[in-house]
Amino acid sequence: MAEIQILGVSKAYGGVPALDNVSLTLNDGSFTSIFGPPGAGKSVLLRLLLGLETVDAGQILIDGVDVTRALPSERNLGMVFQNLALFPQLTAYENIAFPLRRRNVDQTEIDRRIETLAGILNIGHILSKKPAALSGGERQRVAIGRALVRDAGAYLMDEPIAALDARLRDDMRLELKRLQSELGKTFVYVTHDCDEAMAVADQLAILNEGRFEQVGRPEDVYGDPAMLAVAELVGAPRISVLPAFGDNDGMKFALGRLAGAKVKGECLMALRPEAVQLKPGGKGPCSALVTDIERLGAFSIVTAGRDGTQVRAITDGDSPLRLGAEVEITVDPDGMLLFDAATGARHA
Amino acid sequence: MTGLILRTLAVAFFAALALLPISWMASMAFKPAAEWTSAAGTLTFLPKDPTLNNFRYVFTGNSPDQMVGLDRTVWRPLYASLLTAISGTLIAVICGTAAAYAVSRQRIHESIGLSLLQLRIFPPLAVMIPVMIMWSFLGMIDTWWGLALIYGIVTLPFSYWLMKAYFDELPREIEEAAIVEGCTPFEAFRQITLPIVASAVASTALFIFILNWSDYLIALLLTRKEWTTIPVYMNALATAASGQLYGAKAALGLLAAVPPIILGISIQRFLVRGLTFGALKQ
Repeated sequence: MAEIQILGVSKAYGGVPALDNVSLTLNDGSFTSIFGPPGAGKSVLLRLLLGLETVDAGQILIDGVDVTRALPSERNLGMVFQNLALFPQLTAYENIAFPLRRRNVDQTEIDRRIETLAGILNIGHILSKKPAALSGGERQRVAIGRALVRDAGAYLMDEPIAALDARLRDDMRLELKRLQSELGKTFVYVTHDCDEAMAVADQLAILNEGRFEQVGRPEDVYGDPAMLAVAELVGAPRISVLPAFGDNDGMKFALGRLAGAKVKGECLMALRPEAVQLKPGGKGPCSALVTDIERLGAFSIVTAGRDGTQVRAITDGDSPLRLGAEVEITVDPDGMLLFDAATGARHA
Repeated sequence: MTGLILRTLAVAFFAALALLPISWMASMAFKPAAEWTSAAGTLTFLPKDPTLNNFRYVFTGNSPDQMVGLDRTVWRPLYASLLTAISGTLIAVICGTAAAYAVSRQRIHESIGLSLLQLRIFPPLAVMIPVMIMWSFLGMIDTWWGLALIYGIVTLPFSYWLMKAYFDELPREIEEAAIVEGCTPFEAFRQITLPIVASAVASTALFIFILNWSDYLIALLLTRKEWTTIPVYMNALATAASGQLYGAKAALGLLAAVPPIILGISIQRFLVRGLTFGALKQ
């Protein structure tokens, strides 16, 4: 059980800042996703938490105790590395037992804990095999087992399921979520996959270019992004961002005019695809041609545009729209997010 | 189909080309003195009258074939070769592995790799003459440790570069996982890393042993009599009565191939295995 506080931590490599004065609190028993594009500094943050690297500035507290300069072994954190980092010469059993053997736990206790874990992770049948003989998903579970076998204060995971195939990934993230709520432990989950980050977390932290852009509940971050960068990073299919001008007639932009201008003057208008409706026929104040249709079964992603300006919309799976068809664009006013053109800050 | 035949023929041709001198040496080792050269008749590939006298000659110094006995048998050079080659290999492998690990993990002093190469970028003689002078000042000429030391030094670049490549390939996360679980960096190296790279160390050691074992030039320059090695001894195998003792040299050549072969076979199971074999996601 542990609460982790990151206070004003900075880290630079060769003068290039990887983390710039970041602060974040991970509550005891919370499941926090740290999400950001590759190179945002996610892995660096985990390495600093683990004590594998030292901070240039700032503090790290675990349960109120300053561990900024503590050795990795003194922090009592479990870790699942991005590349899993299993010990190739040891069997799955010995891999999982390693943290306990290091702490001189007696054999009956090791057996007991591994048996329990093997049940939860469904790896009982592969414990005698070495990592080379395991499939990707099995290695994954063994690596998670090696982290969980010890009663650590918090468990850190660096893109632990990124290399699995899509179906296995979906299963694993559900399993992780279930595991975390069963154990009631603090989990920190780093990923560059937005869906994954949203699906598992009860706290979502958006890390971009070495800074936290926004921290909050996943649904709040999605629905109420503070910065244009956050709106662009979170959500798939991607949000459409268009330069627009607001006046008494509504929001004018390259494809026409949309009703309801909450902001006057120039701004950037971001439209979530689910807020955009496309109707056949081009009679309204805002129209475009369908340029692309991706049919994904349950829904389709339709791109409509003209002269290089494009809007993405989610439509029914059996949408009657055809490529090249003229469509009228309407937008649910709640789904229209407006940002300052210069700073990218959200207009209230 | 034609392609396969042509390829097989090409492989057979080059294999034969490579094996020709070795098979000639093997055949020569069993030839009596009269068949060594064409002086006493025609030269044949296989011995007409196979004999073990050549082996007897180098081991005992006497042979029914030869009127004059050898003043030195092969035993002492064999001992010298084994001692210096093994010691030199140990020096190179231990120092090279340690240096490669440190540089690979700390990512500092990487230029050491290039500076190690300086011994190798000059013609060997250009380097060894000054070394000979230094060694003679230091009183290390014709000592086993003087020769072992220089063997360790000249093969150090190989062990450094080979091991560096292995360590670079081995993700540091494997050690970090051990460190997070409570190991000190040294324990992580000894308990986790070293067993993983054991196969790499074995193949590096074999390679370096063969280099040291087959050295002629260094031993020629740095030894006089006590610690001459097999290649130097082999070259000196000649008597006033018979001239060059080709058969004895060939027999010795065959014998000299035995230690690397034994070593190679005994560590074979390490040589073929992959390095990390499944520690990571593919």
